[in-house]
Amino acid sequence: MVAAGQTVELVQIEEGRRLRKRLADLGLNVGLTVRVVQNSFAGPLILAVREDSRLAIGRGMAHRIRVAPRNSAPQDEG
Amino acid sequence: MPTPQTIALAGNPNVGKSTLFNALTGERQHVGNWPGKTVEKMAGIAQIGGRTFTVIDLPGTYSLNAYSSEEIIARDFIINEHPSAIVAVADAANLERTLYLAVQVLELGVPVVLALNMADTAQQRGITIDTAALSARLNGLPVVATVGSRAVGLDSLKKAICTQTDGTPRLLPTPVDYGQPLESEIAALQVQIEADPILSHQFRPRWLAIKLLENDEDLHARLSGAGYHALIEAARAAMARIAAQTGEDAETLITDRRYQVIAGLLRGIVTRPDGDGETRSDRADRIITHPIWGVPIFLLLMWIVFQFTAYVSAPFLDWIDALVGGPLTRWALAALDAVRLGDTWLAALVVDGIIAGVGGVLVFVPVLIFLYLALAVLEDSGYMARSAFVMDRVMRSIGLHGKSFLPLIVGFGCTVPAIYATRTLEDEDDRKLTAFITTFMSCGARLPVYVVFGAAFFGAKSGNLIFGLYLLGIVIALLTGFAMKRTVYRHKPPQPFVLELPPYHIPIMRNVWRQAWQRTQQFLRNAATIILAATIIIWFMLALPVRGEGTFNDVPTGDSLFGSVSRALAPAFAPAGFGSWEAAGSLITGFVAKEAVVSTMSQIYVEEVGEGTSAEDEADSPGFVDDLREIARSFGEAAILTVQETANIAPRTANLLPVVNVGLGDWLDRGEDAEELTSLQSALTTSFARTACSAERGKLAAVAFNVFVLLYVPCMATVAAMRHEFGGRWVFYQVTYTLLVAWLAATVVYQGGLLLGIG
Repeated sequence: MVAAGQTVELVQIEEGRRLRKRLADLGLNVGLTVRVVQNSFAGPLILAVREDSRLAIGRGMAHRIRVAPRNSAPQDEG
Repeated sequence: MPTPQTIALAGNPNVGKSTLFNALTGERQHVGNWPGKTVEKMAGIAQIGGRTFTVIDLPGTYSLNAYSSEEIIARDFIINEHPSAIVAVADAANLERTLYLAVQVLELGVPVVLALNMADTAQQRGITIDTAALSARLNGLPVVATVGSRAVGLDSLKKAICTQTDGTPRLLPTPVDYGQPLESEIAALQVQIEADPILSHQFRPRWLAIKLLENDEDLHARLSGAGYHALIEAARAAMARIAAQTGEDAETLITDRRYQVIAGLLRGIVTRPDGDGETRSDRADRIITHPIWGVPIFLLLMWIVFQFTAYVSAPFLDWIDALVGGPLTRWALAALDAVRLGDTWLAALVVDGIIAGVGGVLVFVPVLIFLYLALAVLEDSGYMARSAFVMDRVMRSIGLHGKSFLPLIVGFGCTVPAIYATRTLEDEDDRKLTAFITTFMSCGARLPVYVVFGAAFFGAKSGNLIFGLYLLGIVIALLTGFAMKRTVYRHKPPQPFVLELPPYHIPIMRNVWRQAWQRTQQFLRNAATIILAATIIIWFMLALPVRGEGTFNDVPTGDSLFGSVSRALAPAFAPAGFGSWEAAGSLITGFVAKEAVVSTMSQIYVEEVGEGTSAEDEADSPGFVDDLREIARSFGEAAILTVQETANIAPRTANLLPVVNVGLGDWLDRGEDAEELTSLQSALTTSFARTACSAERGKLAAVAFNVFVLLYVPCMATVAAMRHEFGGRWVFYQVTYTLLVAWLAATVVYQGGLLLGIG
């Protein structure tokens, strides 16, 4: 669980090829650093992607995105 | 005159592309659909530097992959139509992400003008962009900062379009360098593509090579369909080599490289203030998209949208209804009299068939305009994306996307705009399913039927019947959605939820109004034919005598073709307890419009009602000038009432709270219209009791009849909208399914009631 306001690096996106491509089109690809804008107890998350873009992603998908807070072990985003 | 050159606007959703399109083309626009698609096609004419251009607003897309039909449309247009130039629209306040599409457009090798739109928003956030330096890094490609909503930068944009289309050959910006091993694979494929004259003529070889390596499904399928198996094989082998060498698949490498190039382009060119980057929209979203507070906010806004379609649109709906039924009909009769056709069947066809049919279409205009205004405001302000965010959790439980909720709510007002409201859904199957279940939400036109029956059979307790029917509609809609997700769409994985949340901003009323009006016109064009045809057919059925003494256009309803068709259908309704031809006949006209059920019943059950009104009309016919004066007066009245109903939204909303009871504004002192229906009501109770053999059973049959009215085939305006949006085959499924469900439910109610010992 990454709290709102934290900045993390995307390490791996465990989704199918099509969905990974779609996420990349929306600006979300592996290696990117994103800021978590909102992560409440339920419902989708809001990420700040490439500074100015705000993306909402479902909680289910968020669980399949591995992230690393700088210089530490990978963890689940959800 | 030479054929005008074509330019196209390409850009992400939410970058203000359509405001730029409006600024370029002004009023000279045409809205249509892309061939074979339900995606809107916007085209316009612009005068730029003394030359005439056709301007195409391509659908908003995030990339030129073949992920959605919008993306295929945008890219096919650029490849096949060879526009003279593309205006790639990026968002100055979200530059890095929105340049991703622009870079792909550049790779297509057409002349490009880069517009950095919404420059004002960027400025407000303290972001500065050195456009001249960016242009220099792109080999002199024109880069223009614009604010589409206020036509800022329009002159520079036009100048840039002129220079890019004047025919002089121009240096193309340096394409993205994908590095090794990609570049050598691209080069090898490129050689193979260039060797084929047809392929190299149709596509830019380098672009096609990159797309094949990106594993573009659409292009792979198209090329293998055309027999280019060797090329496909070469591309696959190249992809395998790249994966083996780098440990990463080619498409990921290509995507990453594009973003790297963009980051490099912007380095030192974009400066931004220090801070955590939190925007005003982020702060607003803490409440608006809050998992708890977000829901009541959403419901409140939906309630307001519903108020607009149900109440605020009503005064003008009534005005059009009165205009068509009164003056327009009288004028047509007078005109027919003038050419000595006044008393012929042709006059009756024109008045009762055609004019009534046209009226049936026109009454939807106010409803649709107000719905589209409300939707455009929600969309333009940025709230629409949030509504999907908030409702996603709830709708997901029946397998639908959060955005499906809005059409369902609109469906309580009128199903036609609800069908169009599904346009906000991106997934075609989700759209179809949502439209499919929307017809079960009880629309405003079904209410008069419940009211008449409720008063006739249940007296003071009629509210229970009405509430029960609304509830039943919701339950059937949800069950249908649930069932279809588990049968028809079983193999379809749930749509992953990923959605851009554009920053909030105040809607630009000019654009909102333009959009609402254009969409309403589209409905009119598409629905007019089917509705007119259905009205004329029913008129002929009512006019044709098939037995008894009547002659054409002078026949009691029971003896007409309509009567005998009703008689033939009646036994089908016997299991549901209302197997009389009168009931069946009312249901047939209910297809024209559900509110027609009551008027047909008045005609059939109580013959004298119809005759009384027509005699009255002839005795006291106002002159032409009186008519015009009355039209103007009632228009003014409708305008006042519209404002009144808008103001009434506030007390109506407050009244939702159990302890509050605020009076509604009644500025013209009209009170509620109390319609005299007593003769119809008593005729109904007698007739239903006679058909069902007892008063109690008659009551049960009446409930079953109302259940049928709630669920059966949506009215033909809805059918027209459905056909427009999803095609004839889908309409067939819809009609069949709703008839089946309606019949089953009505029968279950009646037979179940009998089993329980009622009657």
